[in-house]
Amino acid sequence: MSDLADAARMTGTAFRVLVVDDDPDMAAFLARLLTGEGMAAETAGDAEAAIASLSLQPPDMILLDVMLPGADGFTLCERLKSAPASAMIPIVLVTALEDQESRVRGIRAGADDFLSKPVRREELIARVKTLQRLHETRRELEARRLAAEIQHKETLRKAFARYVSPRLAETIIADLVEDGTPFQREPQRVSVVALFADLRGFTRLTEATRVDEVVGMLNEYFEVITDAAYRHEGTIFSMAGDCLLVGFNVPFAQADAAERACRAAQDMVAGFAPVLASWTARGGAPTGVGVGIASGEAILGNIGSPHYMSHTIIGDAVNTAARLMQMAQPSELLLARPVYESVRGTLDSQRVRFKGQVALRGRSGTIEVYSVTL
Amino acid sequence: MNDGAYKVTVAKDLEDLIPTFMKNRRKELDNLRIALAAQDLEQLRQLGHRMKGVGVSYGFERVSTLGKTIEDGARSGDRASLEATIAKYDDYLAKVQVAFE
Repeated sequence: MSDLADAARMTGTAFRVLVVDDDPDMAAFLARLLTGEGMAAETAGDAEAAIASLSLQPPDMILLDVMLPGADGFTLCERLKSAPASAMIPIVLVTALEDQESRVRGIRAGADDFLSKPVRREELIARVKTLQRLHETRRELEARRLAAEIQHKETLRKAFARYVSPRLAETIIADLVEDGTPFQREPQRVSVVALFADLRGFTRLTEATRVDEVVGMLNEYFEVITDAAYRHEGTIFSMAGDCLLVGFNVPFAQADAAERACRAAQDMVAGFAPVLASWTARGGAPTGVGVGIASGEAILGNIGSPHYMSHTIIGDAVNTAARLMQMAQPSELLLARPVYESVRGTLDSQRVRFKGQVALRGRSGTIEVYSVTL
Repeated sequence: MNDGAYKVTVAKDLEDLIPTFMKNRRKELDNLRIALAAQDLEQLRQLGHRMKGVGVSYGFERVSTLGKTIEDGARSGDRASLEATIAKYDDYLAKVQVAFE
C-alpha cells in the first residue's frame, strides 16, 4: 500500500475517482484496482449517470471511456471541462492503444491524460497517482491561497474595526461579501436610544496641557468609555474631539436598549474615575464625564459625499441626546423622560432628580429631563 | 491446443469479480451469435471491440485476441472468419480454467 493510500485512510479523505464505462466488467476492474490503492471509486455506465453522480458529489478524478452509449466520452469530457464546477477535475480518457485519432480528439475535448485499453495495472496506477499528486498539490496551493486571503481579510477587518464600531464593520463587510459594494444600503428608519458622552471642562484642561500630552489623555479617556460602550453592546457612530455618540438598538434590535445605555453611562463614569485621579495627581484641571441619553426615531444610513462618508444616525433623538450632554455636569447623566420611564426601576432613586421642563437650544418647546448623579 | 483446457492466471484481488466476468462472457457469446445471424456487422464490431479491451485487463489474453479478430472480421465483412472465431470463443469459454495468485 502506498504512502498516499495510507494517508488517505488515516485522514478519512480518500481520493475519489469516478469510473465511467458502459462495460460493467471493465468498470468493476478499474474500480477494484483503484480501491486496492486506497482510493474510493464509483462507477457510472453512461454520460447521464456520470453527470448525476457528479452533481451529488464531485470526484477528484474521472476515468472516462470513449465509447459510451448516447453521448460519447469526448462529448462528456468537453461538457465537463466547459462547466466551472467540473473544469478542474482531471479526466483520463480510456482509448484503444492504436487509436491516435481518438487521442487528438481527446486533447481537443480537454482530457488531461490517456489510458490505453487493454488496461495494464501498473500503467493505470502510475497515471492515476501522477494526476492525484498534481491534483493534491493544486488543492493544497488553493487551500494556502484561501487561508492567506482569509488572513488578509481578517487583518483588514481588525484594522477596520479600530476605526469604526466592530458591529458596523461587520455590517459593512457583510455588504461587501453580498455584492461588493459597501455603503449602498438604503437609509433605514430605526428606533434608537442615543447616548452622547463628553469630557466636561476638557477644553479648559487642554489650554493648560501640552498638545502631545492631550493625545495621550484623550486615548486614556476614550479607552475607558469605548470599552464601556462595547461592554453593553452599543454601536459607536462618531468620535469627535472628546465627544462620543453611541447608538443602542441599532443596527441590531435590543429590547433593553435604554437599560444598556444607562449601564454604559454608569460604567463610563466609574471607569473614568481612576483616570481622573491620575490626571488630578499630575495637576490637571477638574473634569469628568457628562452623558445625555434620549430615545426616538432616527435615520440610519450613509451620510456624506462619495469622497467622504459617515455611516451614522441622525434625527431628533440624536440631537436631544447631544443637547442633554452639553447641559450635563461632570459625572451627571441627563435622561429624556421616555428613557427615564424605561429605566426608572433600575435606578437608585436617591440619585435621581427631576430637572423639570427644559428648553433645549435649537429646539422648539420643552422636554422633561431627569438628572442622575453617577 | 483445443483438446486441452485453457489455463488462465488471474490476480487474486480480482477473484470475486470472475464469476460475473465469466457470466457476462457467455452472454456475450450469445449476443455474437445473434448478431451474426442477423448479419449485424456493427454490433459484431462493437462486441469484438469490447472483448479486446476487457479480456487481457483481467488476464484473459485469448478473449482479447479473439475480440480483435471479430472486430477486424466485422469491419471487412468476413463472415467465414467471424463464424470460425465465434466457434473458437465458444470452445474457449467451455474449457477455460482459472487459477488465482
